[in-house]
Amino acid sequence: MSQFKIQNSKFKIKVALIFNFAFLILNSFCFAQQNKIEDAPQMADTFRSEGKIYVVVLVLSIVFVCLATYLIIIDRKLKKLEDKVK
Amino acid sequence: MHPNLNTSNIIALLKKEFLLEFRQKTSLASILLYVLSIVFISFLSFKSGIKPDVWGALFWLVLFFAGINAASKSFFTESKARGIYNYTLYHPTEFVISKIIYNIVLLWVVCLCSVLTFGWMIGFPVQNVLLFILTLLLGSAALGGSLTLMSCISSKTGNSYSVMSLLSMPVCIPVMLLSLRLTKNAIDGLDWSVSYKYMGGLFIIDVIIISLSLFLFRYLWKE
Amino acid sequence: MKHWWWKIAAIALVLFSITMGFIGNVPRLDILNETIRNLYFHVPLWFAMLTQMGISWFFALRYLNGYNIKYDILSSRAAYVGGMFALPGIITGSVWATYTWGKPWVADDPKLQGVMAAMLVYFVYYLLRALIPDAQTKARISAVYNIFAFIMTFVFIMIYPRLAPNSLHPGNGGNPAFGRYDMDNSMRMVFYPACMGWILMSVWLLTILNRMKKLQYKLDNHESI
Repeated sequence: MSQFKIQNSKFKIKVALIFNFAFLILNSFCFAQQNKIEDAPQMADTFRSEGKIYVVVLVLSIVFVCLATYLIIIDRKLKKLEDKVK
Repeated sequence: MHPNLNTSNIIALLKKEFLLEFRQKTSLASILLYVLSIVFISFLSFKSGIKPDVWGALFWLVLFFAGINAASKSFFTESKARGIYNYTLYHPTEFVISKIIYNIVLLWVVCLCSVLTFGWMIGFPVQNVLLFILTLLLGSAALGGSLTLMSCISSKTGNSYSVMSLLSMPVCIPVMLLSLRLTKNAIDGLDWSVSYKYMGGLFIIDVIIISLSLFLFRYLWKE
Repeated sequence: MKHWWWKIAAIALVLFSITMGFIGNVPRLDILNETIRNLYFHVPLWFAMLTQMGISWFFALRYLNGYNIKYDILSSRAAYVGGMFALPGIITGSVWATYTWGKPWVADDPKLQGVMAAMLVYFVYYLLRALIPDAQTKARISAVYNIFAFIMTFVFIMIYPRLAPNSLHPGNGGNPAFGRYDMDNSMRMVFYPACMGWILMSVWLLTILNRMKKLQYKLDNHESI
């Protein structure tokens, strides 16, 4: 029982260490990324982070789907007409 | 069916074309007059003198429209009855070869006349003359080949000159651009090595145009 | 619903390109900035146009080999669809160029010149078809013009960019179509499906126009083709 406890605490420490380490790496990576962003050409980062880009995608998709549906309807109507003439 | 392809027929057709040209003289004279008046007008409009690259552009534009003028006559003068007569007598390829050769020679004459008029009125800024002459020969061969086919097409629409120039414009853009670039090289007196690839391109276009014209003409002739 | 799968695929591919085109990652480049995403919407139009041009050219040849009016209908419809894709292509190109190259029309770019030549060929082809009243003559003459002009345009698009040194388009002086765009792999994953989708859409439009014209022909001439 006590052995298990010791093992458990060791495990906890290991996990904490790993997390800490990972966080450090991630952190430095993020900072590096940020530095890069400052140097790099400007992009619409704020717009993107606010999540508004999904609205644009949604609108464009709806426009396109409507047009495509209309095309499908035309296609089916044409098919009916062809059958009639035949 | 058509009679077989025959070189003597081509020569006979060519002889006919040139004989007609010499008898009538009107078509060549009208082209020369056209070139002269255009060059005179441009001389008047560019009073302060023409820059060398503008010279090249102007030269090829004059040549292009003079070429359209010249080649558009090659099928309109043929009457329907004579067309049928030719159809029974000659192979379409013989016919088109003679027309193409005639048009190319005509364009070369037009080239010569434009060079003379340009040199006389505006000036002759070309430094590499041999390159310029080669460009003229190759470029007007390409123009002659495509204009022959286009004039045959436009004669089928019954609507003469305007359709002809519209039809030939997009087809001749590659030829014109390559020739313009070569002319610019000749004017600037650049080294030959710069111009080799453009010469090659122009030559390939020449071959493509003439072989296409030979291949496609038989489909136009069928009535 | 037998032949519907590729139409659905076309819609799905274009939808995918719209979604990933905005959400996906793109390289950060000077001048281009976010406009690099135009690549997913502008360039596929050209691929669709070139496909239609090829179809039109191929069936013009088929028509001359046997004079079957069926092929003339297909060839001319493909030319119409091609022009329909070329027009937005040239307009979007102009808009894009205004904000990146500073001018709506850059004079000395071989790709623009080639594209303009193709547009002119299309318009003259339509004019030629409108001018000749008789159906068979129209088909024959326009097929000849089609073959000649499109070969010239193709030669121009393929040869001239290799010769001319100064193109603003990517892949300078090299391969005129593919070549190295400033694309990374994540962009390619969107770009190729987008091209595929728009090509399929153009083919779909072509089949609809073709069937319509055939139907009209059937009604006008009381004969089946």
